[in-house]
Amino acid sequence: MTATATNSLPLRIRNRAEEMPDRIAMREKNYGLWEETTWADYWDRSTLVGHALLALGVEVGDRVAVHSENRREWLWSDVGITAVRAATVGLYPTNPAPEVLHVLRDSGACVLIAEDQEQVDKYLEIAGDLPDLRTVVYIDPRGIHGRYDDPRLMPWDEFLALGEQHRTDHPGAVTERLEAVQPDDLATLVYTSGTTGPPKGAMLSISNIEFVIDTLQSGGAFVDPPASDRDLVVSYLPLCHVAERVFTTWFNAAVGSQVNFAESIETVQQALREVQPTLLFGVPRIWEKIAAGVHIRMSGASWFKRKNFDFWMKRAAWIGRTLVENQGNHTAATKAVYAIGWVCLYRPLRERLGLGKVRYAASGAAPIAPEVLEFFMGIGIPMHEVYGMTENSAIATANMAGRVKVGTVGEPQVGAEIRIDDETGEILTRHAGTFAGYWNNPEATAKTIDSDGWLHTGDVGEWVDGTHIKITDRIKDIIITAGGKNISPSEIENSLKASPYIKEAIVIGDRRKYLTALVGIELDTVGNWAQERKLGFTTYRDLSEKPEVIALVQSIVDETNRKFASVETIKRFAMLPKELDHEEGELTATQKIKRSAINERFADAIEGLYSDTDRAAHEVKA
Amino acid sequence: MSEPVVSVRGVDLSFSGVKALQGVDFDVFDNELFAVIGPNGAGKTSIFNVLSGVYRPQQGTVDFAGTDIRGMRPHKIANLGMARTFQNIELFENLDVVDNLMLGRHAHLGYGWPSAVAWLGKAKRAEVANRRRVEEIIDFLEIEGYRQLPVGMLPYGIQKRIELGRALAMEPKLLLLDEPVAGMNGEETEDMARFILDIRNELHIPMILVEHDMGLVMDLADRVMAMDFGKPVATGTPHEVQSHPDVIRAYLGPVDDATLAEVQGELA
Repeated sequence: MTATATNSLPLRIRNRAEEMPDRIAMREKNYGLWEETTWADYWDRSTLVGHALLALGVEVGDRVAVHSENRREWLWSDVGITAVRAATVGLYPTNPAPEVLHVLRDSGACVLIAEDQEQVDKYLEIAGDLPDLRTVVYIDPRGIHGRYDDPRLMPWDEFLALGEQHRTDHPGAVTERLEAVQPDDLATLVYTSGTTGPPKGAMLSISNIEFVIDTLQSGGAFVDPPASDRDLVVSYLPLCHVAERVFTTWFNAAVGSQVNFAESIETVQQALREVQPTLLFGVPRIWEKIAAGVHIRMSGASWFKRKNFDFWMKRAAWIGRTLVENQGNHTAATKAVYAIGWVCLYRPLRERLGLGKVRYAASGAAPIAPEVLEFFMGIGIPMHEVYGMTENSAIATANMAGRVKVGTVGEPQVGAEIRIDDETGEILTRHAGTFAGYWNNPEATAKTIDSDGWLHTGDVGEWVDGTHIKITDRIKDIIITAGGKNISPSEIENSLKASPYIKEAIVIGDRRKYLTALVGIELDTVGNWAQERKLGFTTYRDLSEKPEVIALVQSIVDETNRKFASVETIKRFAMLPKELDHEEGELTATQKIKRSAINERFADAIEGLYSDTDRAAHEVKA
Repeated sequence: MSEPVVSVRGVDLSFSGVKALQGVDFDVFDNELFAVIGPNGAGKTSIFNVLSGVYRPQQGTVDFAGTDIRGMRPHKIANLGMARTFQNIELFENLDVVDNLMLGRHAHLGYGWPSAVAWLGKAKRAEVANRRRVEEIIDFLEIEGYRQLPVGMLPYGIQKRIELGRALAMEPKLLLLDEPVAGMNGEETEDMARFILDIRNELHIPMILVEHDMGLVMDLADRVMAMDFGKPVATGTPHEVQSHPDVIRAYLGPVDDATLAEVQGELA
């Protein structure tokens, strides 16, 4: 290998292709079979993409966008783009056309790699407003080929053929770019979903990613024993998000863990069962959904199975509680009980969920209710809440094996400095993974990174026992009631959402006399609950407005209220008449609530909660 | 235009004096989506039953793939390459999705029962090839998530898709779709419409579609034949048929000229 100024993701993949050409780097399920891609193939495909981009005139520092579900082509593109020193811009598959327009225009992407007809249709809607875009490569030709005649469209095969031709004509061209890599090169723009204002492009450099890879390799920082090429990962969260990039692309390059892609987003559960991954990252919503699914499935099981389940889940709850008290460590008693339960329930249950071999599970990207963590710990899944954000390359704190404190986001990662601002309580981080700033937005950058290099996370937190960090809330979400009391809504919301029947909870009360909430039910579980009680219903709204369902929600609100101080209790609540949706602007691409949009959209319902006459609001008995 | 795939001439069908079809004439050409519309009891499903051999018409000819198929047994016609879906789903409820689709491959087995019993090279290879074809259909119809589930427990919209999949598994030369979106919600209808378009554009299979959902017919069909009381009243592009006075009368009953003009204006 030629000596270079710095290491980089593509260089690491080239190394692996040289050292272990025939080992499996990734698998994708197609036509019912798992197709394998070796490291040699991975690098070959990536360099072809690189050559194709050179043939299309992509220069150092240019931006190339990828708009696709997780699949092998995403990784080949990402690595190919970085190999020619351009920057990858990821788009959420769920991004509607106006958001696609914002990201493509803001980044000035010159090439777009779109997955299929769905994404190409979005591009066609906005094609006239994209002067910088020269080529749109589409991966799946179905429905596009021979029907669309936009001059910028190019099928994936033709794109690779272009790369093949360029490689024949200029065999060393990609290598030349690759080896000229600089630590400060822009590697990727990660658009942060932004609960306020349009998404901003966070610039991550080659050295930012190298810092993450070092952290992943330096054992104990995340996984103990360290991740290796024997670990399996299922890639299913959007790859444009920094967390999935860590678990899919960067883990894979850092330690050689094998990446598995499901056939489609609908078959992820099945893929988990078939692959039985060893490392699994999920956002709270995913963990909540898995837990709720267990309860739904059991309600339809036979009498014996139900009794067995109930018995062992009670034991699991106890094991979970004990583990929580012992920082994730077993006592002799829990170990013994777990061993018997493993035979009777936990093993088959875990295998069914695809969590049979998970040795490290993590939740991050949003706060999770302790009850959910406890549930998984109880059935033997080593759960760890971790904390990080795009702007610090997802590296800040993590709960380490054997030192878990539920309710905290863990200890500072090795090599990461963490500080809590004395005045505001804001969490500040500083390390080599701190991003290079927002694309074309020095003003926002200056507000986020101070002159000493500290990143202002926007999260308020505190130290627990001097070692762990507990996050209270986002600074801007803190509610100050009319009485002047500071309240963190997310804690109350998470307590409500810990119920399998509740999908969304939005606590309101800024400059108001008392707290209220908008509550959205989980259609699957409440629907199932209603069916068991022979309650007929037609739509989401109809189900939400059933008096029995309101009484159910009422009981959950009452239970939550008991856990909080009097000023923090919810006095009234109203049901959301619909499921919140990204396309309608109520949620971000990562399913976070956009409070401003909610306040506007449900203004009437909210006012009703504070008027004395409204009958849609439901009083909560103290 | 090329040779028609199917050609129906002067077909009459009656059941002990009740005339179900009278003087039905139409052709369907390669790569064409041909729709049959009409009020209840107009004879739409009777046309399907004549084509697929369930009924034998008293008069007329039905040419399919160069053969006169009038009066031929249904399985013979199916072997000639005609596949259909049903208004009411007709699947094997206790078999899983893959098995239901594999049944559609029956005509393409290419081996007899002795080699199936012996499981010799030929049977094995054919089975693998057939399974591969089934997987392509699963991919095409986006039903990967249901592969191993018994069909009976799947949602209605998905069952409809699987029935379509079984018809596609036959690799038909002509596909008959009997009310493919009946009883579906908006999203399921949209999905089905997309699959029908993809069948025409990607698989190039000519189709005859019987459908009540006028919007769907007008959006998808290349040509439409409107029926009333067993007789074709108009055949042409969706737009021509839609504003044809006899078609409007067939749906609305006898109307005066002023109302007719008003309806035509609305439709234009």
